[in-house]
Amino acid sequence: MNLRADPAVARGQVALVTGASSGIGRATAQRFAAAGYRVAVNYATNAAAGEALAHRIGGAAFGCDVSDPVAVERMVGAVEAVLGPIDVAVCNAGFYEERPLEEVTDELWDRTLRVLLGGCFHVARAVVPAMRARGSGSIVAVASELALIGGVNVAHYVAAKAALIGLARSLARELAPTIRVNIVAPGAVDTPLLPDRDRGPVYTSTVPLGRIGRPEEIAEAILHVAEAPWTTGALYSPNGGVVIQ
Amino acid sequence: MSTSRGPRPAGRVALVTGAGGGLGRALVAALEAEGWMVAGATHRGGDFAADLADRAVAERLVERVVARFGRLDLLVPNHAAMGMAPVDAHPVEDWWRIVDTNLSGSFRLARAAAPHLLAAAGSIVFISSEWGVTGWPNASAYAASKAGLIGLTKALARELAPDVRVNVVAPGVIDTPQLQVDADAAGLPLDEMKRRYAAAAPLGRIATPDEIAATVLCLVSPAGAYYTGQVLQPNGGTTMV
Repeated sequence: MNLRADPAVARGQVALVTGASSGIGRATAQRFAAAGYRVAVNYATNAAAGEALAHRIGGAAFGCDVSDPVAVERMVGAVEAVLGPIDVAVCNAGFYEERPLEEVTDELWDRTLRVLLGGCFHVARAVVPAMRARGSGSIVAVASELALIGGVNVAHYVAAKAALIGLARSLARELAPTIRVNIVAPGAVDTPLLPDRDRGPVYTSTVPLGRIGRPEEIAEAILHVAEAPWTTGALYSPNGGVVIQ
Repeated sequence: MSTSRGPRPAGRVALVTGAGGGLGRALVAALEAEGWMVAGATHRGGDFAADLADRAVAERLVERVVARFGRLDLLVPNHAAMGMAPVDAHPVEDWWRIVDTNLSGSFRLARAAAPHLLAAAGSIVFISSEWGVTGWPNASAYAASKAGLIGLTKALARELAPDVRVNVVAPGVIDTPQLQVDADAAGLPLDEMKRRYAAAAPLGRIATPDEIAATVLCLVSPAGAYYTGQVLQPNGGTTMV
């Protein structure tokens, strides 16, 4: 069954998207809503953007720092109370900061791990029991092409995103056949997180497809793997051809 | 610690954590046999006692080694915490203890060692796991920590190049006492656990610690001089990627 081919089938299903107040998360919330989902728009701090988006797409906004496992449990409970059981969880919340190794403080390291990796662990442990009880569910972890190829001055970010891939692959094995877990690892995408350096021709000329990605293109990939019924543990990397392996 | 012998690595200093474990002992022995001076850190005591779950320990450990030997040429963060549980039954604190010991502890060692390694044109060999490549059911914390080490390797390989090479070894199942954790989680006797792992490998057996130590040794020998950012996978063919 390809849910995407028939929006009516998806109508009434619930998707939780973390980090949905901007960038890829925002585009993903919009795309799922267009596909008929009721969308839980999670934001960490930008309540105005989260609420406005939720209102516009007919969803509901939930403020929660995903690095806090107790807050995540509370949020998942609230989503299920307001929108119904969660069918798809998109673990997208993150932030990006470049820092040379010697300047990666314990605080930055911990925060990066707790948000990028912990965000998915905390959401997974909160949504899995109900998904298992209902006999279905889908989780998508949003990683990064940098997890595949490394990068300079981003050891903390790359380590956290690579760990996220290891987590998602473990969960794909552990939760099969009931719950599917997949990974989308985008390349450079036009979001507020992208350094200006990567918008210019010096970088884009190194991208085989000649440009950075659009958030909508990543949202499309996320929706696709979320609904692909025979796909689990897969890593899909829309990156303009930067990583070909 | 031992004195050096053998021509090439004479006078070169290695720090190996988790040196009291099955693979750790093999690493220390293999490096010493090649003439390295090895500071073997264990959480049990000795000259370089270090519990890498303690966030302040990594820096002090590196300082102690450099104070003793005057330099550092090789870092092998080999210590690891292991635990298995379904993701929604894994106590959160225990999940993070595993990730922080394995991944954050190795990161802090690398950050502390980097200036010394840059000065010595040295090398880091992280110890990941096949499960870090493939993921593993009921091992989400361990697999995430080991996958994170692969990412950390690639990032640091780029950042510390060209002076410092950074690689990672992701072994398959090794015949060490740690297998008891797997056996307990599976509810099997240790021998049966080993038999099943062996049967799953195309080579029909699990690895000896010496074989994995030899892979690490290769990376720091002339044969390994052009490797950086690489994941070496001695796994008997269990995973082919």
